[in-house]
Amino acid sequence: MQRRDFMTAAGLGLAAPALAQSDTRPSLTIAVQKISNSNTLETPREQSNVGFRVSSLYAESLIGTDWLGNLGQVPGLATAWRRIDERVVEFDLRAGVQMHDGRIMSAEDVAFSLGGARLFGGASAGREPPADALAVARRTFPGFERMEVVRQGVVRFVNRVPDVTLEGRIAQNVGVVLSRQGFETAENWQAWARRPIGTGPYRVAEFRPDVALTFEAHDSYWGGRPPARRIRFNEVPEVASRINALLSGETDFATDIPPDQLPIIERNARFEVVGSAVNNIRVLVFDKGHPVLRNPLVRRALTHAIDHRMIIESLWSGRTEITRGLQLGFFGDMYLADWENPRFDPAEARRLLREAGYRGEAIPYRCLNNYYVNQTPTAQVMVEMWRSVGLNVQLQMMENWSQVVEPGAMRGIRDWSVTHVFSDPVGSMLRAMGPLGELQRGQEWTNAEFNQLCTALESSTDRARRRVVFRRMLEIIEREDPGYMVLNQAATFIAKRRDIRWRPARGWPMDFSAANLGFGG
Amino acid sequence: MLRFLTGRLLRAALTIAMVVTFAFIVLRLSGDPAQIIMGADAPPEAVEAFRAAWGLDAPLWQQYLRYFGAILHGDLGRSMRDGRDAITLVAERIPATLALTIPALVIKLSIGIPAGILAALHRNSLLDRLVMALAVAGFTVPSFVLGLLLVLVFAVQLGWLPSGGQESWRHAILPIITMGVGGAAVLARFTRSAMLEVLGQSYIRTASAKGVPWRDVVWGHALPNAAIPTVTIVGFMVGSLIAGAVVVESVFSWPGVGRLLVVAVGNRDLAVVQCILLLVAGTMVASNLVVDLLYGVLDPRLRAGKMGAQ
Repeated sequence: MQRRDFMTAAGLGLAAPALAQSDTRPSLTIAVQKISNSNTLETPREQSNVGFRVSSLYAESLIGTDWLGNLGQVPGLATAWRRIDERVVEFDLRAGVQMHDGRIMSAEDVAFSLGGARLFGGASAGREPPADALAVARRTFPGFERMEVVRQGVVRFVNRVPDVTLEGRIAQNVGVVLSRQGFETAENWQAWARRPIGTGPYRVAEFRPDVALTFEAHDSYWGGRPPARRIRFNEVPEVASRINALLSGETDFATDIPPDQLPIIERNARFEVVGSAVNNIRVLVFDKGHPVLRNPLVRRALTHAIDHRMIIESLWSGRTEITRGLQLGFFGDMYLADWENPRFDPAEARRLLREAGYRGEAIPYRCLNNYYVNQTPTAQVMVEMWRSVGLNVQLQMMENWSQVVEPGAMRGIRDWSVTHVFSDPVGSMLRAMGPLGELQRGQEWTNAEFNQLCTALESSTDRARRRVVFRRMLEIIEREDPGYMVLNQAATFIAKRRDIRWRPARGWPMDFSAANLGFGG
Repeated sequence: MLRFLTGRLLRAALTIAMVVTFAFIVLRLSGDPAQIIMGADAPPEAVEAFRAAWGLDAPLWQQYLRYFGAILHGDLGRSMRDGRDAITLVAERIPATLALTIPALVIKLSIGIPAGILAALHRNSLLDRLVMALAVAGFTVPSFVLGLLLVLVFAVQLGWLPSGGQESWRHAILPIITMGVGGAAVLARFTRSAMLEVLGQSYIRTASAKGVPWRDVVWGHALPNAAIPTVTIVGFMVGSLIAGAVVVESVFSWPGVGRLLVVAVGNRDLAVVQCILLLVAGTMVASNLVVDLLYGVLDPRLRAGKMGAQ
């Protein structure tokens, strides 16, 4: 070490405590049910509400999502992007973005993050991602061919086949930009995945799996200096304990609050509950293989027997919405605003059952105990609604997902939810219900015409035709040969200190950037 | 003595083998770890890749043989959720759990045994009734209810102590009290019963009639004889030190072995569950062995009986 370097380092070392002391920004503590499902922070392994909640704090995509607004695509680490042709998107990278290790984000970092060993394998021994992470990446970018560095500051994503949804795919958090050097110098994949080096407003300071995840402000963040000095997510599995931690002042936020607990918090003037419907839709899935449900008339009767509005008003206090089928407004020109769900019509349900020759045979309904918000009470109410039209649905409480999806004669109806990972039916309908989706891979439902339409929806670049195709798909899977029934848009409720200015997103991510966080008043 | 120890060790090995087998069967038949760990939204190909990577696609008997063989070679396997060695994960959590269970055990012993003795010595008095009323209350209130009550009073209302977490020694106070109270109540009831039974024996009357001071009667004759059932309970409590705080650790978000067990069972993370079970079985067996040896120390008749048998 040169004498000058030594003096500089010593000076920085002495100055560091003083700088830390002069930082008067508040710190935040957040009680969450779960910090990470996989004990890592690598996004392909954390594709659930748990991982989505924190990933945008430390990592960003080229194309951002307007989580506080209309869920539309906004500039992220790319300031602009354009279609070169139906297979290629070119990006202008944001200049001067400093990563958490102090380096400036380069085109090579972007090329690595979207096309390198991190997502598609081929890393040296010890750094190879787990097979399931690679499978998620392949699922997200099924047609990926290569990344091209055109010049410093400009990169291209090249697909093998035409795809109108490339921008949506790239906006997902699977393709966040992380430091190539960080990956290549990490001790192993686990070490990397627990402390990824990204560009977000906060850097990972400490990760204690199942205990706490602490972030520190990334003061050189391109979007402005973060308003909080530190953010600590504490894992508090019990809902009563999360609420107690908030009320006792130990935490500033408590997430995953069930609706029946909201009045307890709202009675206290120091706290409030904020919440919003998110980009996820709760559905009930029908197994066509079940002897009774094989008849579409019975499935149609099931859909007409439920008064969804009453459920929303009574169990949700009107705090969420019923979507028009499996679609959300942020689909843009792919959104079918005139689409109608099967109406609540008990008489029609009874007529369909008579026509089907239904004689009261039992239909099993597998349900987890409030894995989803209000899941169990909703199931109990629906069973009674079905009973009132003559349907004999038997509720079966399960312990885990494996038991819920286990094939067999006892699988009839089950709960599920579908996240809309980008603003196109391909990111939800196709992903979940298409030929390669969970529904069909699990042999619960299939339909030849629907599958042909899936191919057309995915490969066509004619937007008008795609709308027609999507409408026909909805007609098949929601009306004619029901594969599922839409219940409601999922919602998340977060209790917080009233004096913290913060808004929940219209998705799972929590935004603590300067644009969405303030203190006092 | 050697034969006695060998017999006990063989029985312990058999017990542990049965525990391992039972846990394997129950966990593997009640859920697919790949589907559970990957979650409801995981793409099917990711679930299949996970299964293949962890050998979950092999027939169940092959998985069992492979797992049991690995254990015999001292390999407890890796956590499917975490990727690290199960033994490393469990070892990381043991200090946190012991930080609760050892002080709680001290509370149990220092309150439960004296309270039981006092209640027995003052049978049917106000003190006896008070001790027993408290013991019944402490015994019957579930630990999660007691824990939440303590949090409501001392954390939410009074603000004296934190409601959960593990940041400082203050965070340990409420969980330790929660565990200590229940265990002290159990010990008090057992000690009282044992003391009452011994105090009714003819040798106690004889000693008193011979003019032995009451204190000497209690210390020299009653307590050692009453100790055997109490030692059995204490042995059980010592055996539970490693994983005896499952509920309390969940209520207080304390990152110990108990919480790890809950998460691992929920995820069907077999290696971690098995590792904890082996540890618990090992400590329980060792603890029982010590208790058996203590019986001989406490009761010369048992010692003589064993030697006679040899």
